[in-house]
Amino acid sequence: MPEEAKNKRLTDIGPHDFHDYLPPVIKKNYGKWAYHEILDAGSMVHVAESGDKLYTVRVGSPRLVSGSFVRDLCDLADKYCSGYLRFTTRNNVEFLLEDEKNIEPLKQDIAKLGLAAGGIGNVVANIVHTQGWVHCHTSASDASGVVKSVMDDLYEYFVEEKLPAKVRIAFACCLNMCGSVASSDIAILGTHRKPPRINQERLLNLCEIPSTIAACPTNSIRPDTQDGKQTLRINEETCVFCGSCYTVCPAMPIADPATDGLSIWVGGKVSNARTKPTFSKLVIPFIPNDPPRWPKVVEAVKTILDAYKEGAESGERVVEWIERIGWPRFFKITGFKFTKYHVDDFRLAETTMNYSSHTRL
Amino acid sequence: MTDETKKRLEDKIIGTIKEYTGKKRFKPIDIVKEMEKEFSGDGLSKAEIKGTLKEIMDGGKLVYGYAGGSYLAIPEEGN
Amino acid sequence: MGKKHETPLLDELKKGKWVSFVREIERAAEKSERTEDLLGQVEQSYRDKVTHWKHGGMAGVKGYGAGMVGRFTEFPDKYPGVKECHSMRINQVSGFFYNSDVLRKIAGIAEKHGGGLLNLHGSTGDIQILGLRQDEAEEAFQAYAELGFDLGGGGSDLRTPSCCLGQARCEFANYDTLKICYDLTQAYQDEMHRPLFNYKFKFKFSGCANDCVASASRSDMAFIGTWKDSIKINQDEVKNYVKKLNVQKYVIDKCPTKCMWFEEDNLVIDDPNCVKCMHCINEMPKALRPGDEKGASILLGAKAPLVTGPRMGMMFIPFYDVLEDSKNNYEWLKQLISNIWDFWDEYGVTRERIGELMQRVGVVTFLEGIGLEPIPEMVDHPRSNPFIKFEDEEEND
Repeated sequence: MPEEAKNKRLTDIGPHDFHDYLPPVIKKNYGKWAYHEILDAGSMVHVAESGDKLYTVRVGSPRLVSGSFVRDLCDLADKYCSGYLRFTTRNNVEFLLEDEKNIEPLKQDIAKLGLAAGGIGNVVANIVHTQGWVHCHTSASDASGVVKSVMDDLYEYFVEEKLPAKVRIAFACCLNMCGSVASSDIAILGTHRKPPRINQERLLNLCEIPSTIAACPTNSIRPDTQDGKQTLRINEETCVFCGSCYTVCPAMPIADPATDGLSIWVGGKVSNARTKPTFSKLVIPFIPNDPPRWPKVVEAVKTILDAYKEGAESGERVVEWIERIGWPRFFKITGFKFTKYHVDDFRLAETTMNYSSHTRL
Repeated sequence: MTDETKKRLEDKIIGTIKEYTGKKRFKPIDIVKEMEKEFSGDGLSKAEIKGTLKEIMDGGKLVYGYAGGSYLAIPEEGN
Repeated sequence: MGKKHETPLLDELKKGKWVSFVREIERAAEKSERTEDLLGQVEQSYRDKVTHWKHGGMAGVKGYGAGMVGRFTEFPDKYPGVKECHSMRINQVSGFFYNSDVLRKIAGIAEKHGGGLLNLHGSTGDIQILGLRQDEAEEAFQAYAELGFDLGGGGSDLRTPSCCLGQARCEFANYDTLKICYDLTQAYQDEMHRPLFNYKFKFKFSGCANDCVASASRSDMAFIGTWKDSIKINQDEVKNYVKKLNVQKYVIDKCPTKCMWFEEDNLVIDDPNCVKCMHCINEMPKALRPGDEKGASILLGAKAPLVTGPRMGMMFIPFYDVLEDSKNNYEWLKQLISNIWDFWDEYGVTRERIGELMQRVGVVTFLEGIGLEPIPEMVDHPRSNPFIKFEDEEEND
């Protein structure tokens, strides 16, 4: 960088103004859209009060992409929509077209790149996920690999509307949950099952004792001395393997290849439509890591999806279906085993019990 | 705030972080609260202390560390 | 040139119909040699069933305590290309709108100064550039800055705010999510780049109750679009829907407050009883539209599990007139935010999110601390236990 540019170091400029990247049809009809219609799982049209139409073609992406991938998208955007494109909160790419006639040729070019148009309407939406082994130090599993395996299996549900309502699947590789896993129709969560190990040598160099103790949600970390040196002791009886202490103290690694894996949760929902937002609930406490394709996880997700597709009424989200038929029946239909782990024994646990005589026999 | 007070404040902030390195991690708001007490006689406002801390950070005399949460640290050699 | 590392396990993930991230890492490696070692390390993780990223070590640019995440391999000798493999968060454009020109430049910088890999986008909303070394961070930062892009949040600070695409394309949007997201991000640059909080703090803006950015489950301060007056009904379009959809079963019977019914062929809505859940509008967008007095509800306290458990956002402000306040440079909102942050500064502890602070000190104490009156909209129902802590002044009433 030239010397004069260094002197003018830019900071605190904030994000780029979005107005610069809105296509003309959006600028013209901003805040004046009348309605939209889904054309198929990969495209929709928004109609403005002025009568102007904006066609959107949605394409699934793996979120982790190369510069070449970005240029592929840009080339298509230049060819079909004057270079305008956007991304969705679920890592899809959206091409913003003014001319309906461009939809089919664009879709053909998308297919040539090995990509899939889809994700709109009553489909399995693209899976939001975290970094996993590709880039994270606290992960209990990979993320991208599990997601790829599940999406390969559910591909037909992304490209075609075949479900009673939309199904949102999310993946997080540990309890930090960098992603909105906690309120998804189906959630896959990386899970540690053993207490952290204390590396005495590194502890005093790398960690602050009080904040490490404070990091524990169950007060399971206590100060101790060993050979006259300050250390920490973990109450393994009460530790819930959340990894919060490892986040604060690098000398308490918790990952364990022999015992780490994934858990499956269902029936979360963040939309307020009809029913209030709710967290996902545990259905499978643990599936061991089985790279490269995690077949048991794929099978579990498919089992849930098949049961939902079979049992839910049109318009019912997963949680609405399960609450209509009852959790006992959900476990019976899917064949998943209900265990002691399904009964909440953490903070505020009692709110999840059944305080009534209501039961389906 | 006089230049003299500001210099004392800067020295105290950096000195405190140095003194406690390896013992206690101060997050920025902790050090601001400490300095509020320390400089109560000088009538410094929270905003003035935060402003001085920002200048110290922008000048690179202290850096931010992160371990679950952010804290203040002495820059490592070579950076 | 052949592959630097054999990757038989990852190769399995190039099979199948869904687009492969492994292929993407390989394509990045074609442009950025260091990324070959990323493939090698991830392959080893697949063999060993454990992450090989080390915990600890910092990365950043001068003056900022946010926007970069330090990442170091456990095996620098074996995988020298990822000895340092930091990520840089670039604050996204509101609503994730771009054009091909700027995206090509963003990708070009990622290839020149990083591993040629990007997350579009990270969970919070930033563009993430993967694989930078500390010694090239400043140059990458300034290259993005010259393009008009700054770094995002990280650490104990205001995390990068994000929003749904709002009025840019959605007829459901009840306020301008893109604008308020942009305006507040600009207003709080200091809070984003220089971590001064007890822990992270997130703003998210959704234009309606469908909440497409999941604000209510993951942002400390969630803005969810709503309206005060009546749903606008186009009776002709209602009749068109009746021809193709069982409106009684799929729309009316699913209304959570049973506030709508047919009188003859006309749809009637008891608007004061409507909770603005969006269901009927979702089902019949041509026939029904939100009213004219639009704004947002503000929910506080949502968060992910760590440290003391996940929480959903709680209703605090049923109606906030976004448009009116924006004309005033968001004076009312900024005062509320300042009250919340001051209370958190004063009473919060390290790594305690706002929701956890509320739980610890009690919602009423929190309300008094931030200057809000308790109102019935905040609760599902009034308390049902009699353990009331009466205060002295009540006796004089």
